[in-house]
Amino acid sequence: MTLSLILQAIFAGVTNGIVYALVGMGLSAIFKGSRVINAMQGEFAVIGAMTTVLLLTKSGWPYPAAIAGGALAGALVGAFIEVAFVRYMALKNASEDSFLLLTIGLALTLSASVLFFIGRDGHLLPPIGGEGVVLVLDAVIQLHALWLVAIGIGATLALRAFFHRTTVGLSMMAASIDADGAATTGINVGRMRTYTFVLGGLLGALGGILVTPLISVDYTLGLNLTLKGFAAAVLGGLTNPLGAAVGGVTLGLVESLAIIGISSSYKDVVAFSVLIVIMILMPNGILGRAGRRGG
Amino acid sequence: MASLNLQRNLLWIAVALAVWAALPFLVPRNIADLLVFTGIYTIAGLGIGLLLGHCGIVNLAQATFYGLGAYASAYCTVMMGWPSITGFLVGAVISMALAYVIGRPILRLTGYFLALGTLALSAIASALFFEWDWLTGGTLGIGGIPKLDLLGFVLDRPSRYYFFVWIVAFACMWAAHNLVDSRSGLMLRAMRDSSTAAAALSVDLQSLRTRVFVVCALFGSLAGSLFAHHVSFVSTQSFTVDRSITFLLIPVIGGATSIPGIVVGALFITFLPELLSKLGDVHQILFGLALVAVVVLMPDGLMGAWDRFRARLVARGGSDA
Repeated sequence: MTLSLILQAIFAGVTNGIVYALVGMGLSAIFKGSRVINAMQGEFAVIGAMTTVLLLTKSGWPYPAAIAGGALAGALVGAFIEVAFVRYMALKNASEDSFLLLTIGLALTLSASVLFFIGRDGHLLPPIGGEGVVLVLDAVIQLHALWLVAIGIGATLALRAFFHRTTVGLSMMAASIDADGAATTGINVGRMRTYTFVLGGLLGALGGILVTPLISVDYTLGLNLTLKGFAAAVLGGLTNPLGAAVGGVTLGLVESLAIIGISSSYKDVVAFSVLIVIMILMPNGILGRAGRRGG
Repeated sequence: MASLNLQRNLLWIAVALAVWAALPFLVPRNIADLLVFTGIYTIAGLGIGLLLGHCGIVNLAQATFYGLGAYASAYCTVMMGWPSITGFLVGAVISMALAYVIGRPILRLTGYFLALGTLALSAIASALFFEWDWLTGGTLGIGGIPKLDLLGFVLDRPSRYYFFVWIVAFACMWAAHNLVDSRSGLMLRAMRDSSTAAAALSVDLQSLRTRVFVVCALFGSLAGSLFAHHVSFVSTQSFTVDRSITFLLIPVIGGATSIPGIVVGALFITFLPELLSKLGDVHQILFGLALVAVVVLMPDGLMGAWDRFRARLVARGGSDA
């Protein structure tokens, strides 16, 4: 076990971890804003990545425009789901379980739609920043991975600034903490919930677009990313989107370091076992602030 | 009036029994096959229904126990050449032991965290089923599992196996009904509705939740063994996280607190995809949409919607008179 091998594993872990973090941050933003566990968060990633692939290869858009289009598609689908389903069910005081099942149903529908309209084949996007690699102490790091890390950190900081500095972000926080109080001060609570889903869709789509140069996107990717994103969000305490960022990177590191010690095929076994142990032993998430009780 | 009601209920039960007994002889073989699956899914769904409807626990790990039952049956009969009953017993013992050992710590979690814990369990089990190919045959699976043999009567046709599976299913439904109706059932409901009040009345929440989880695992393993003997081939594809999600849908669609609702949910899960598949590849999208429609329009499941419909009819009849 050489130093460069460990370094390589750490970097791969951070790269994967940031993708989990983006999916998890979206999931956690949606949970914070609407108390809905979004079991189709990974599908936002598939929507974002697939739209980018189609715009790039079928419509011939330039790459940055295609990425913007993919992210926009995620945001629009998020808004549609809130307006079409969640709003109606919230009016009827639906239970938390039925929201979970709604999103499971939507996830099945979306993944079946991708299979039906686009097919079984996986699709890759070209790496952002070109095909080049960087050598750090004999560890080979793709240029794309550096871009991914930079964009991921940028998105996390932007999210933090959004929630703490902007009027809309503060209103969303207020609506999620005390809906009645927020409504009294003139905040449109329903609209804030829509924005929450827009944000969740945007973050999920961004995660999907960033990971697609590394892992090919197909109709099965959604469920896997949902699981990892959910794990990232829970590790971070679920109601704290920035905690989800820490959770995602932790999960990615645990996974990739486990491959050094044990066979790579046990990656998921280790990741999910660690998740169960952390949930039981650290009931408030790794950051230990928000409550652990989920429902 | 009461005796009239009783007579009417008895009549309904007699009609239902007659339909149930005649059904496999009246329908084509592929439908009889689906009815066998409905019975198997009813057994697996019953356990999840108990947890969801009476403890408020979302169990996304049933495919694990279903897989343990199926692999136990496959391994004992094919690899070891033991009689089929050993497969059922080994599967049940391993599943219940695992549910106890894992349930004890995991069931301390609540709400979504518990749901995620069981989901993680299912993901771990599904990966292990895949990796431990010396035991499970991996993706190649284990084939040639013999049909069940009941006192020399080989259950080799769907119409024969149908009766066996459904008698087991009815026994499980009866057991579940007794559990819900018993003192434990009362404690369960108290725990679901207010766990603090229940704890104050000296209900041991931990051991009660664990016990129901163990019962759920037993039903799952039983269903898995029945599945293995029905299809005679098991492989990792049958025990993935997707399957756990499908199992969870059974009580949700039918109505988690109602035992007949589980049968309705199992019918929905087995027949709707089959009916929709006649429309071509689009059927998976339609199944997803049907599920969304049920969740949005019928929050208490199909049985809940039916009860409300009947209540409305009765109310209208009352105002007419």
